[in-house]
Amino acid sequence: MAVSLRINGQTHQLDIDPTTPLLWVLRDHLGMTGTKFGCGMALCGACTVHVDGAAVRSCGVAVQDAQGVEITTIEGLSPDRGHPLQKAWVELNVPQCGYCQAGMIMAAAALLKAKPQPTDADIDAQVDNLCRCGTYPRIRAAIHKAAGQAKSA
Amino acid sequence: MKPDRRQFLITAAATAAGGMALSVLPEAADAATPELSAWLVIEPDDTVILRLPAPEFGNGAMTQQAACVVEELACDWAKVKVEFASATRDYTGYSVYSVVPQAAAFFGGRSTFLMRVMGLQKVGATARQRLVTAAAAEWGVPVGEVTAAGGGVLTHAASGRSLRYGQVAGKAAALGAVATPPIKPASKWTLLGKAGPGKLNNPQIVDGSLTYGIDVRVPGMVYAALLQSPVHGGRLKSYDAAAVKGMPGVLAVVTVDPDEGRGVAMMSNAPYGYALTAPRSAVAVIAEHYWQARKALEALPVTWDDGRGAQWKSTDQLYDAALKALDSDDNVRIEKLSGDVGDIAKAAKVVEQTYLTPWCDQAPLEPLNGTALVTADKVEVWHPAQNGQQAFWVASDESGMPPERVIFHQTYVGGAFGRRLESDDVRMVVAVAKRFPGRPVHVIWSREEMMRQGKYRPMVAAKLTAALDETSGLPKAMVARQASRGHYPRFADTAYFMGPIPNVRVDARELANVHVTPGPYRGPGYNSYAFIQETFIDECAHGAGADPLDYRLKLLADWPNPGWVKSLKAAAAGAGWGKKLPKGVGQGIAICGWGLNGAAQGGTCVAVVATVEVSKKGALVVRQLDAAFDCGRVMNHDAVANLMEGGLVFGLNMALNEEMTVKDGRMVEGNFDSYPVLRMAQAPKINVHFEGLSGADRYSEMGEPPVGPVGPAVGNAIFRATGKRLRRTPFLKQDLSWS
Repeated sequence: MAVSLRINGQTHQLDIDPTTPLLWVLRDHLGMTGTKFGCGMALCGACTVHVDGAAVRSCGVAVQDAQGVEITTIEGLSPDRGHPLQKAWVELNVPQCGYCQAGMIMAAAALLKAKPQPTDADIDAQVDNLCRCGTYPRIRAAIHKAAGQAKSA
Repeated sequence: MKPDRRQFLITAAATAAGGMALSVLPEAADAATPELSAWLVIEPDDTVILRLPAPEFGNGAMTQQAACVVEELACDWAKVKVEFASATRDYTGYSVYSVVPQAAAFFGGRSTFLMRVMGLQKVGATARQRLVTAAAAEWGVPVGEVTAAGGGVLTHAASGRSLRYGQVAGKAAALGAVATPPIKPASKWTLLGKAGPGKLNNPQIVDGSLTYGIDVRVPGMVYAALLQSPVHGGRLKSYDAAAVKGMPGVLAVVTVDPDEGRGVAMMSNAPYGYALTAPRSAVAVIAEHYWQARKALEALPVTWDDGRGAQWKSTDQLYDAALKALDSDDNVRIEKLSGDVGDIAKAAKVVEQTYLTPWCDQAPLEPLNGTALVTADKVEVWHPAQNGQQAFWVASDESGMPPERVIFHQTYVGGAFGRRLESDDVRMVVAVAKRFPGRPVHVIWSREEMMRQGKYRPMVAAKLTAALDETSGLPKAMVARQASRGHYPRFADTAYFMGPIPNVRVDARELANVHVTPGPYRGPGYNSYAFIQETFIDECAHGAGADPLDYRLKLLADWPNPGWVKSLKAAAAGAGWGKKLPKGVGQGIAICGWGLNGAAQGGTCVAVVATVEVSKKGALVVRQLDAAFDCGRVMNHDAVANLMEGGLVFGLNMALNEEMTVKDGRMVEGNFDSYPVLRMAQAPKINVHFEGLSGADRYSEMGEPPVGPVGPAVGNAIFRATGKRLRRTPFLKQDLSWS
């Protein structure tokens, strides 16, 4: 089936099984491997992207349902690693293996867009992706730091 | 975004373009820029390319290795790029990267063990000496008058001349052998032993460009979805490939037969051997895209012969067998015997309890995967290995190619925790790919497939008996009996059994009939015995009417490593140990050590105080963890803090949540719904205290140590909050209510 997607400001036309999860379309068909496969059941959040600005777990979205919306992946978050969250992540040396971190950053970016000065409770509720390395204390600190930078900027 | 050199790692190999810095064979090394050594290239623009053998799976090994080289090389840290050294080149180059007889560690993840640190310092110092010698020749001055004081600049003070490393690197590479100059003492370090640096690969992590195994893209690549015998040890009975051959994208249905012959007729140098890498009976669908393969696999009619594992109908049946085995001394193996435990059960004051820890899955977030291209004369592998040398040899064994025909590319690794160490995953990838030769096959385990086809932290049952001294209340004799399948529990390596308790007997029974496959899991053995031992000691303290902290301090008073007592005191001070707490709130303490290997001055100890709150209905909140540790000294303060924080969360999850169960021989849990992992909201406040450090002259491991004592600290805190003693994990499957 012919499918048309808007991703990071560009239009992509594909002929594809319409039930294919958006995750695998991004990774296998479009070569955007920053969005990760972790569980396939929308449980872990490693595949988090933005759909019209909201954080969505792309493994749980069939590609046919991802048409007519603006999708943003980690590759489109900033042109130069310049998003306040990306900068805070490096400054606070957040990652260990790093596999979950793109999804974490996407979840956090959606949160900051909706709520520029989030509380700890907001972070708990909105950034509930899995990090098996256990970097949660640093993720929380980096979100607050990025929020602070945005405030002072 | 401009691709950086590290991104070329895969694409360069993939296009077989040659000329890229991560070459796979010595003759293919970057022709434009000669090497200063196999480890080191300096480009004319001063970029320093390091080729380092340790994998990077969150341990920070890559950055730490680079820091060890740069401390001596005296170049600009911002100009450093790191690539993975080639296991193929190590073989064809006569152990050029595993330069001391500890090869397993060289291609493994440990970054600060002494032989590696010394080897890396020598790499940096020798390269610096080459640059100095080349500059001296350029200027026609004595070598001794040229200095390399930092920033990648060579200076001749007398004439005021200077050169950048990149300007003389070519000439330096062409020199004959130079003597290695003296290595800086730690007191002169400017990079090591400091607050940082942060991970070199952080920028590529935060923009999603880092290439993990699952991100490998090779021209012509196809995808495979995998299904292995749902009962470990079972065999494929039948399948109907015709039923799925017409589905979109499907190219082939292939099988993996563990009973067929395989191997190469030569002596292997695989650090962990091949026995642990045995393939499982499997069927795989190969398709143009992964989702096509996955859908076809789900539609594929398959039947299995479950084998003897099917005799185990339930987890309880397995637990009961393990507990029952504790009462028999058939086939018992004595692991430690010191002093005389006498007839311990007849002592005046006896404490005896039985404990059980379940199977746990490492569950790294990147599912098992790998890519292999098998052709008539070679096998090429792109893989997220935990030990590249092990994976290299397993690829040789499975493909039947002699090792010089194995081209191995290490990728970044999305978590390992032991699961990727033995390289059974590489074997499976090559086993599938060799049935579809001529095209690179990218095999991806689904989360369910990975979790149910695990190599788990072994289930351990243990019974501990202590005779307490009637005056001091301390254990004067202790017997530890254990039963498991898997060799990991090692009570014999705990501090208490190395002197503080004078009379000790430790034995072990192997549960030979259990089919569930064991494997290394972060802190093998330690991750079980820390819980068992530190819960039991708490019970001894309670039996003696002693404060749990005081009791441990007394028990360790004459222990020759002062880091243990310091760590206990630092964790307790940080947590405000001893303050009055309301009912339902409690603090518990635990300490354990990893990697002692029989030496009081070895390894790393971690002491944890957990502060918990338990509602009357049994809802548990772990409010805070205070941890202190002694690994001797630290090379990178922030990297150690990060590993401590993460390791505490990992260990907490192990104690609270993790249990793989069995039904009709099959592993039940398959994803993060049934096998939960802590999320942000459940992560406690964590305080890492550095006041436990003894300053002893060693840099012991930091990955495993925090995992052990968290669980018992929380369990002991639950006891103090509620009066309920937990002798099994996971805690959250147990009734914690109180009144």
